[in-house]
Amino acid sequence: MHYISQNNFFKLLDALKSSYEVYVPIKKGEQRFYKKYIEPTDDIVIGEVRPFEPVKAFFAQAREIVAEGFKDDIPHSSDKPFAIIGVKACDLKGFKVQDHVFKNHDYQDPFYIKNREQNLIISADCTSVIDTCFCLALGIKPHPQEDFDINLSEIKRGFVTTTGSDKGKELLKRYSSLFQEAAKAIINKKELQRAKVIEKVKENIRENKVPREDLYKGIIERNYESDIWPEEAKECVECGACNTICPTCHCFLLYDEKDDKKMERLRIWDSCMVKDFASVAGGANPRPKLWMRLRNRFEKKFDFFPKVADIYACTGCGRCISACPGKIDIRKVLTRLVGNV
Amino acid sequence: MYRSKNPYRPIKTEVLDVIKETPTIKTLKLRPEEPISFKTGQFIELTIPGIGEAPFTPSSKPFVTDEMEVTVMKVGKVTEEIHRLKKGDTVGLRGPFGSGYPLDDFKGKEVLVVGGGCGFAPLRSLMYSLFGMSGEFKKLFFRGGCKNPSEFLYKQEIEEWTKREDLNIALTVDTGDETWKRNVGLVTTILDNVEMDYKDGIAIVCGPPIMMKFATKKLLDMGFEEKNLYLSMEKNMSCGIGKCGHCRIGIYYACKDGPVFQYSKIKDFPEIWE
Repeated sequence: MHYISQNNFFKLLDALKSSYEVYVPIKKGEQRFYKKYIEPTDDIVIGEVRPFEPVKAFFAQAREIVAEGFKDDIPHSSDKPFAIIGVKACDLKGFKVQDHVFKNHDYQDPFYIKNREQNLIISADCTSVIDTCFCLALGIKPHPQEDFDINLSEIKRGFVTTTGSDKGKELLKRYSSLFQEAAKAIINKKELQRAKVIEKVKENIRENKVPREDLYKGIIERNYESDIWPEEAKECVECGACNTICPTCHCFLLYDEKDDKKMERLRIWDSCMVKDFASVAGGANPRPKLWMRLRNRFEKKFDFFPKVADIYACTGCGRCISACPGKIDIRKVLTRLVGNV
Repeated sequence: MYRSKNPYRPIKTEVLDVIKETPTIKTLKLRPEEPISFKTGQFIELTIPGIGEAPFTPSSKPFVTDEMEVTVMKVGKVTEEIHRLKKGDTVGLRGPFGSGYPLDDFKGKEVLVVGGGCGFAPLRSLMYSLFGMSGEFKKLFFRGGCKNPSEFLYKQEIEEWTKREDLNIALTVDTGDETWKRNVGLVTTILDNVEMDYKDGIAIVCGPPIMMKFATKKLLDMGFEEKNLYLSMEKNMSCGIGKCGHCRIGIYYACKDGPVFQYSKIKDFPEIWE
């Protein structure tokens, strides 16, 4: 375990700029967002909690060109990869789902694979908790344990660092002059801080009565015809925010654009809450009602993914709770589903 | 298996000919720049440059790789554009995708093929394959139905099929006219005279969802095993490789696990006929 001072940390970021597009979380009001790193500024927050947008945006972008004309090359493959700083554990868990979809499959997605190979992830422990956090209910600790290159635990004026990959180890080696061995006292501080954050998340879960994942088995099948769905869907305005903001949602729409000079195929994030998501050209729609689509969203997360990939496609990040204009609260839905025996 | 480096790019393809089949259905003869080999029952995505793409199961012989035929009914944005295509136009093809019919599993069995309307398109490709394996099945039946005689696909070709000795065939239309000399009624009304070993026989159904639903029910009543019923599921297949999420049926994606499914695999999932 190593330690890097805040000064040296920014030196590291400056050095990374030559090979990466570096993105850091910044705080604006009560929200945190990823912003391209130019120079050290006061609004950069490495610890605290997850930013507003999910990290998936750096791996399968919200809008990207996936084919140009009839050429078999991979568009924009020479772009600089991203170095994403301050990624939180709930986002990293999202990779388990995204990897299953785009990577661990008969058909691989060359865009995602390239980004997974080339992007650099410098993650960070959560040092605070907000009301919507419930990661522990999904078995995720609020500090990264895997799927990062280097992890940072913020301790006053600096960070305790752990490497999580060969890429991370090489980086540490290359910039070894910026790091020092972590002193025992500071490691203890880190552990103490982690324990404190865990307690806060537990408190959150208790207060909001969020059921733990070991109670989720069969909740969709059991409640398939339940009134829970139409009742919960009442306030839904079909905006799709819950999809775009979710670290595990992966669905996309392919569409084509053409002018005199070129023809492009793009993919943009899609939302299963939108009416025509599953419609066919002939007009048939398996989920014509909004509540069916809400049920489908939960089915995909809590029935489909556990069956095909042995994982619940929820990371307890709570983003969908804060993003929903209709105040649909996934914790409450889960509580109702689990309680409905 | 899909071999393109980039699974989203279409292969440049020339429209060799456009054949008007019925007032609402056309068949395109296509020549892709790179040969595409497919297994019968697999589908391709056809791109109209700048407009978009839509999934179709080729209606031609799977063993012909330099040309492909696709039969298209005018129902939406992309298919309307497809109906405007002329000889010499450029389109794109991606695929093939999906798993196709497990033809080897049908060997030594009695096989019944049931088609409705535009479902004749994939089934024509299947029939070419089955005819090519003639002698490997104990019996081969075809039962086909359409709305009316003017909507009857591949009329002349199917007329030729009626002369084949290796095929027991019956055809019907929902509504007849003076030109129609055969059965009038839904396709389920010409299933009763299929004399075969239902318990061990294979039944393949392809057609509009409503027809598939009732044909399936009828076939189960007749004694077919759920695992011996092969259905073509019409879902919103887009990426073709199980990633975009649009065509999910329970734990499957129609695009990569189907679009042909054994009924036993999907019967418990809701919404399959919708």
